[in-house]
Amino acid sequence: MIIMSSNILSGVDTVLDVGQSWITINALIWLWAFGFCHLLFMNTSDSEEDSYNERSALVQCESPTIPSYHQDHDMSLPQETDTKRGRPVSSGLDEPGLVERERAATPDGEEEELTLKYGAKHVIMLFIPVTLCMVVVVATIKSVSFYTEKTSQQLIYTPFKEDPNSVGQRLLYSLLNTIVMISVIVVMTIILVVLYKYRCYKFIHGWLILSSLMLLFWFSFMYLGEVFKTYNVAMDYPTLAMIIWNFGVVGMICIHWKGPLRLQQAYLIVISALMALIFIKYLPEWSAWVILAAISIYDLIAVLCPKGPLRMLVETAQERNEPIFPALIYSSAMVWMVGMADSNNPDSADERQRNEGGALAQEGVESEDDVALGGRRRCSAEEDLEEDRGVKLGLGDFIFYSVLVGKAAANGGDWNTTLACFVAILIGLCLTLLLLAIFKKALPALPISITFGLVFYFSTDNLVRPFMDSLAAHQYYI
Amino acid sequence: MNLERIPNEEKLSLCRRYYLGGFAFLPFLWLVNVLWFFREAFLKPTYTEQLQIKSYVKKSALGLIVWVAVLTTWITIFQHFRAQWGEVGDYLSFTIPLGTA
Repeated sequence: MIIMSSNILSGVDTVLDVGQSWITINALIWLWAFGFCHLLFMNTSDSEEDSYNERSALVQCESPTIPSYHQDHDMSLPQETDTKRGRPVSSGLDEPGLVERERAATPDGEEEELTLKYGAKHVIMLFIPVTLCMVVVVATIKSVSFYTEKTSQQLIYTPFKEDPNSVGQRLLYSLLNTIVMISVIVVMTIILVVLYKYRCYKFIHGWLILSSLMLLFWFSFMYLGEVFKTYNVAMDYPTLAMIIWNFGVVGMICIHWKGPLRLQQAYLIVISALMALIFIKYLPEWSAWVILAAISIYDLIAVLCPKGPLRMLVETAQERNEPIFPALIYSSAMVWMVGMADSNNPDSADERQRNEGGALAQEGVESEDDVALGGRRRCSAEEDLEEDRGVKLGLGDFIFYSVLVGKAAANGGDWNTTLACFVAILIGLCLTLLLLAIFKKALPALPISITFGLVFYFSTDNLVRPFMDSLAAHQYYI
Repeated sequence: MNLERIPNEEKLSLCRRYYLGGFAFLPFLWLVNVLWFFREAFLKPTYTEQLQIKSYVKKSALGLIVWVAVLTTWITIFQHFRAQWGEVGDYLSFTIPLGTA
């Protein structure tokens, strides 16, 4: 009894492994399905702001409303005024009715200025959670070896095993894996769009809840187990059960119901990090890079092309004037609907309220833009609606950014590369937000950041690192 | 969710639900309740529901302290006596540290 295996579950390992992959698969399904949930149309309440598609869009849901937006351009929307108060750029797609109701005149020039001013603050508001998520992932990768140990087990989405001996075969298999993964994602997105079109809201809600249950309980259980093993800490089942139970239940409450904003944001960051860690562990080496690239391209297509599933989802939601499930969306601004007394569309109001409840509860972590900010836009008297716009970024984006940086940290463990990727992603995010402010429509957040990240990773790994190493070896300081 | 923006009745109901929820072995929920509603209960000018919110916050804090005491005691006992308990100790353990007796 003096020296025992640290893993008392050794016999159960294989079972856990299988269980893990099963669970991962399910988690993926959820995430993917929701990944594509755009916040674009968060709902009238947020519609004005930038809602981001889970995966990618820094979206200012605007497409359908653009015509009305321009028409009523003079009536400047409270958005502009809000912007003045530091509110998020409200570009959004607001329900047309709502937009018309809330117009305040503002000159164009001011609008432009306000838009940009508003942009900087929101960039910072997104930088912080993205950075935190990456920090968590990198810290875990560096300290807990579990996530860098390659297992023979792979996700069902990447069925081809890469053979490290043959470059050609490896390349081919990673391409095949990517194709499988992307098709799974496309299929799931289409299923989601179809479900949404046919108003199977309960089903989608249930899916979402199940997936977050899995993330909050099972993955965090695995994570804790690995951390305890790494730090050689004895932990008993009762205490562990209490910890996981508390963490999971409070997480579910915060994410799906009502909870303090900061806690909600923290939970979203944590689940993104957990998911990213799972990806880092279970995606084969080369496949992961190719998948990252492919996802960015897919994102670009899905969000911007007229026939893209995400775009269709957004448009459907806009037609119905209802918010898309703010599932897995991190929002830096609080969207708060205090009773919708919408005389124009009572149905949508009800729906919105229903969805709002869901929205608030959901991953849409809405943070109060600035509590001190006095100005909350008020709708016309008919609607007792308060909105605070903010910037929203899909959790899928968090996850992929973290996967990229995590893999950079895992391979070789060189800090130069990791930092370079981190900076690249932030630059990409900045540029995307800038484009968002300019174009005022839903934009995919992945392509620019991931492209920069990949470019920086491969160039730093292959050019800068050897250079720095030989400089250090020759003690030559520049 | 911003507490500023919801009416007092809802605040009360939220506080109450968090308080009741904490009885399901959820001291963390009580902690969140205390931290979140602390300002509402004690630092804001009085309003009708504030008294009740205060009571809930106090009760949550009490429950929290009790739980913390219980858990701390158990953890201390476990960590100290785990090795001596032999089989029971192993049975209760999720992870066992390497290289200790």
